[in-house]
Amino acid sequence: MRTKWLPWALIAPTALFALAMTVLPLGYSLLTSFEEFRLGLPPVFTGLQNYRNLWSDNNFHSSLATTLVFTVAATAIEFVLGLSLALLLKEEFPFHGVIRSSLIIPMVIAPVVVGIIWRLLYNADVGLFSFAVHALTGKNISVLSSTTLALPALILVDIWEWTPFMFLILLAGIQSLPLEPFEAARVDGASAWNIFVHLTLPMLRPVIVVAILIRALDAFTVFDQVFVLTQGGPGTATEVATLMIYKTAFRFSQFGYGAAMAVALLILVACFSAAVTRAFKGTV
Amino acid sequence: MVRLRFVLIVLALLITLLPVYWMVNTSLKTQVEVFTSPPTLWPQNPTVQNYVGLFTRRHLGKYLLNSIVIVGSAVFFSLALGSLAAYALARFGKDLGQQKINFWVLAPRMIPPVALVVPLFLILHKLGLINKQLGLILVYTAFNLPFVAWMMRSFFQEIPIDLEEAAMVDGASRLRSFRDVVLPLASPGMAATAIFSLIITYNEFFFALILTSTPKAATLPVGTAALIGKTQTLYGEMAAAGVVAAVPLVIFALMVQRHLVRGLTMGAVK
Repeated sequence: MRTKWLPWALIAPTALFALAMTVLPLGYSLLTSFEEFRLGLPPVFTGLQNYRNLWSDNNFHSSLATTLVFTVAATAIEFVLGLSLALLLKEEFPFHGVIRSSLIIPMVIAPVVVGIIWRLLYNADVGLFSFAVHALTGKNISVLSSTTLALPALILVDIWEWTPFMFLILLAGIQSLPLEPFEAARVDGASAWNIFVHLTLPMLRPVIVVAILIRALDAFTVFDQVFVLTQGGPGTATEVATLMIYKTAFRFSQFGYGAAMAVALLILVACFSAAVTRAFKGTV
Repeated sequence: MVRLRFVLIVLALLITLLPVYWMVNTSLKTQVEVFTSPPTLWPQNPTVQNYVGLFTRRHLGKYLLNSIVIVGSAVFFSLALGSLAAYALARFGKDLGQQKINFWVLAPRMIPPVALVVPLFLILHKLGLINKQLGLILVYTAFNLPFVAWMMRSFFQEIPIDLEEAAMVDGASRLRSFRDVVLPLASPGMAATAIFSLIITYNEFFFALILTSTPKAATLPVGTAALIGKTQTLYGEMAAAGVVAAVPLVIFALMVQRHLVRGLTMGAVK
């Protein structure tokens, strides 16, 4: 074959560049995680010390717990709302296109801007949200400075931003399902609920898995909105894992310890992806 | 039933659009009007002073320019390299051992950014590329590549191989048939892919925050976030910055709506 080298030549630049910027840093990260590393000072090899500290670091554990609560709550609610919207909008009706376009706007706005939007809404002095709460309950609350309400407030922001994502993907999935089984079920007199549970959901499963996997992975490493809205506060009430790693490495310049946290997080993410992929093997 | 559906759709639209409207509304108010209670539903004395202030006093023009240079370069390079790889994946995938290649092309996309940010910072620091446009261009190009390769692959696969073979039977080289037959057919997909990577890159904040800091190289999201600390209670300016950062992207995204699902799932769902 004359052209045998050609495909490799075409792929090489992409593969080499992508690997140089991912696998190489990953190796460097692993190395750094075994060191006491501060900018300007020579790195000191400390073996497993960073990981030992990590094991007993309550702040890190609580940031993982916060991240987990955030991810599970946001992904679950977004899935339910997104699926409901998809079912609601699956048939053609007047202004179909315009409505669909409007509903996806939140997810194409930069997360930083989403943060600004909700800062304006949550603000205790001028915010529409706070004003509505005051009008309804007579209470003045500043959700972002409350230790109990700040995390739910961030989850609400994530739901607002990413439900459109679930909606869009599930809608595409629903619209690509074959029509015959549904017609047959209707002829047989199956109820709408039965059709949904025994036909729609099982047939949609591959799409559901993809949607939930992508969304959960992104939620697990959420950063931008938290950075703009609370910076992890009040206290550490909303300090998600990515934010804690950012602070450790780039505010307190403990690069070695930050790298160890990042490696631990990567292992958790990899285990999660592998578990989900395995659980649904053959169905995707 | 029809009425309930109508009510629910209107409710969903309201919840989706009201927060966005509130930002636009606030950006057009004077500082005094922002603080009136109850809040006014539209600006009583609309003003563009917030926007003017951003460009004259807050370097927003410079941040915008940085974003355009960095995002433009990264999208160009990743599209040029990634399309070649995508073509190879689409046409010779089987010869290459599809599964393994799939893994190596896709794996980088699955690594959470936070796992790479410490080493990338240290490497770019050594190379003197911190707070330089070039540093961010390199990082963004690398992160766009798997996405571009994957998405373009699905577009190339839709082009019938017969067309190319016919051109080659007529004596065209593979390179020529790629240039004259495949590329023109793939150009709509290429445009969609370009706009997608543009959206992802333009909105990116995490790497930009860590790898750039001053108006010399920082992108619009970083500049906007920095503004929040500086403007304190100047909510009008904060809102205006949000509008400036959001508007171009919303327009681009609506242009590629048809391909949005494919882009979001990297071709897993069409």
